Amino acid sequence: MQAMFSAWVQYLPQLLKGVGVTLELTGLSLVVAVVFGFILALARLSRIRGLDLLATWYVEIIRAIPVLILLFMAYYSLGQVGIALSGMTAAVVSLGGFYATQYGEIFRGAILSIDRGQTEAAAALGLPSSVTMRRVILPQAFFAILPPATNQLSNLIKDTSLVFTISLADLMYQTYAALSINFLPMDMLLLAGVIYFIFYLVIAKFLGRWELNVQRSRY
Amino acid sequence: MSNEAVISAQRVTKRFGTQVVFEDVSLDVHKKEVVAIIGPSGAGKSTFIRCVNQLHPFNGGTLEVLGHTLTGGGPPPSREVLQDIRTRVGMVFQTFNLFPHLSVVNNIILAPREVKKIPRPRAVEQAMELLAMVGLEHKAEMFPRRLSGGEQQRVAICRALAMDPEIMLFDEPTSMLDPELVGEVLAAIRRLARQGMTMLLVTHEMQFAKEVADTVVIMADHHIVEQGRAAEVLDAPATERAQVFLRRILKPAEVDEVGEVAPARLRGRL
Amino acid sequence: MHIPILNIPLLYSGAIAQGAIKDLMVTIISTILSFILGTLGATARLYGPKLVKTVVYWYVEIIRGLPAILQLFIIYYGFTQWGIDFSPLTAALIWLVAYGTGYGVEIFRSGIIDVPQGQWEAASALGLSRTMTMFRIIVPQAYVAMLPPLTSFVVLQLKNTTLLYLVAYSDIMYQARLGTDATEQPGILYLMAALAYLIMSLAIGRLGYRLERRAAAYR
Repeated sequence: MQAMFSAWVQYLPQLLKGVGVTLELTGLSLVVAVVFGFILALARLSRIRGLDLLATWYVEIIRAIPVLILLFMAYYSLGQVGIALSGMTAAVVSLGGFYATQYGEIFRGAILSIDRGQTEAAAALGLPSSVTMRRVILPQAFFAILPPATNQLSNLIKDTSLVFTISLADLMYQTYAALSINFLPMDMLLLAGVIYFIFYLVIAKFLGRWELNVQRSRY
Repeated sequence: MSNEAVISAQRVTKRFGTQVVFEDVSLDVHKKEVVAIIGPSGAGKSTFIRCVNQLHPFNGGTLEVLGHTLTGGGPPPSREVLQDIRTRVGMVFQTFNLFPHLSVVNNIILAPREVKKIPRPRAVEQAMELLAMVGLEHKAEMFPRRLSGGEQQRVAICRALAMDPEIMLFDEPTSMLDPELVGEVLAAIRRLARQGMTMLLVTHEMQFAKEVADTVVIMADHHIVEQGRAAEVLDAPATERAQVFLRRILKPAEVDEVGEVAPARLRGRL
Repeated sequence: MHIPILNIPLLYSGAIAQGAIKDLMVTIISTILSFILGTLGATARLYGPKLVKTVVYWYVEIIRGLPAILQLFIIYYGFTQWGIDFSPLTAALIWLVAYGTGYGVEIFRSGIIDVPQGQWEAASALGLSRTMTMFRIIVPQAYVAMLPPLTSFVVLQLKNTTLLYLVAYSDIMYQARLGTDATEQPGILYLMAALAYLIMSLAIGRLGYRLERRAAAYR
């Protein structure tokens, strides 16, 4: 036990260097996923034939493919056809592209969950559809979005660990690098586990708590 | 009553697939006239008034609303026409449909601010006047969920009136309310009628229809079975279908009473 | 060595199919085991003594909180530090079952909770014992409610098998990587891997949907 803690103290700085990359990757991918996800949701809900089909197909196909393969395709396969992406870009594209389908479905579900009477009332008042979306639908959908959205955020953080396979120096990569030097795999992996678990608790518990308060004070 | 018809339906027909919702509905609503549509559930009354402000499209016939001619089955009206109709025609729903995330006053000023670009202070001032008219100015900052059904419906009326409409549509405005709350909503509608608002309302309140409506239209089995001056249609309907309907309408009162009494009697025995 | 791109599907589809069979095999075995353990865990979490409840709760949180790669590495590399050396297949199965059990507990728990309280009351009013009620009344209904999350769970397990190449289990990804090393054609090989997963995921989704329709017949 003592030995493990001293190994932890010694290697913590190296692992923390990886935390920066993990967080950066999470942040960038989240932005891509939310923005693109919103566009996907609108496309699927739109009545423009073709556009909704395209978005539906994108969601169904991308969701069925493991993120790791998407990452390899973005990093290795695109390079072969002349689109060479840096490791970071490939990671953001694949994680963002995959989580966009998750966020897209969350947004779509939340928008659909709003009672039809709301859009009818807005239409009867002569509100244009953009105003209806912005002032009537989205504010109400927001509360249905929060819990599944934080859930996906904690999944996203965990999945950033996949970039270790393309040698991006994230937390997982630094952990692997450390254990290859000191031959203390369990100690290093548990330390990384503690760090990941703290992120998870912060997102799942604190954000969850905050959500609960928002929900309670609702209207 | 002037003779200018602001709504004029000519053989308007609506189907969902092969199922007929209503057929050959022809009626006029003149300026300052109050027209009540009554009839059994499922007759297509609510769907018809939703066609007036184009919440639903229809399949056949023509419908003139405030000078715009809508043709059934034709191309949908342009955005400008739709916007013009909806801004000038107000609607009150059976289920109120207030925006739950906005306070009472924000519910009312939303459309005037967004559509008519009225500055906030003036919109609020106008909203407060409307709320005072229905006796709810002290609830302005509350959220809809805190209000009773009757209060919500009165706010919904204010919300529609805030757009200064030329016509008001009411879709069974009291049928979701507890009996003791019906009166306050009917009072608000009655006041509007007295002020000369043009109204087309779908209702189950016979007594009320007789009192405020100039014209009563009875719809049954997807058709208009009778229309004419309120007192005449309601007191001495000419067609047999209308007679049957009006006789039935009187029955539910008795049914209700039995329904109320039965559980009490059961409780007594247990 | 350079191989014309069009020959690659012919050369490697056998290997990919072999990998696919191995992936399916571990998916099926681990799903069945985690289903059984998940049911037990959920029952313990709901009706067990307080200590057991706490242990199951934290087990689930840890499985949900740690990245998949990290969990796999703890089993495959971590335990070597304590002198325990698992073969790739053993490590893969242990991880998939451990992971699946964590998710299975949650799926089954919410399935049970979703059965209306009235069912318990009705059963006890008829004089049925608690155990009898649980296994004859509640569980059958819970299984129906669980089918949709269960389907996505199986797909998730299948997608998790992509990580197994990291512990040298010869699955689809392993074959695709071998092929890439030999031919330097990552584009076509990862595309084949993606297609293999796509077909399997969609097939599982279809199957789940069929079962749902049949199970929902009584509703």
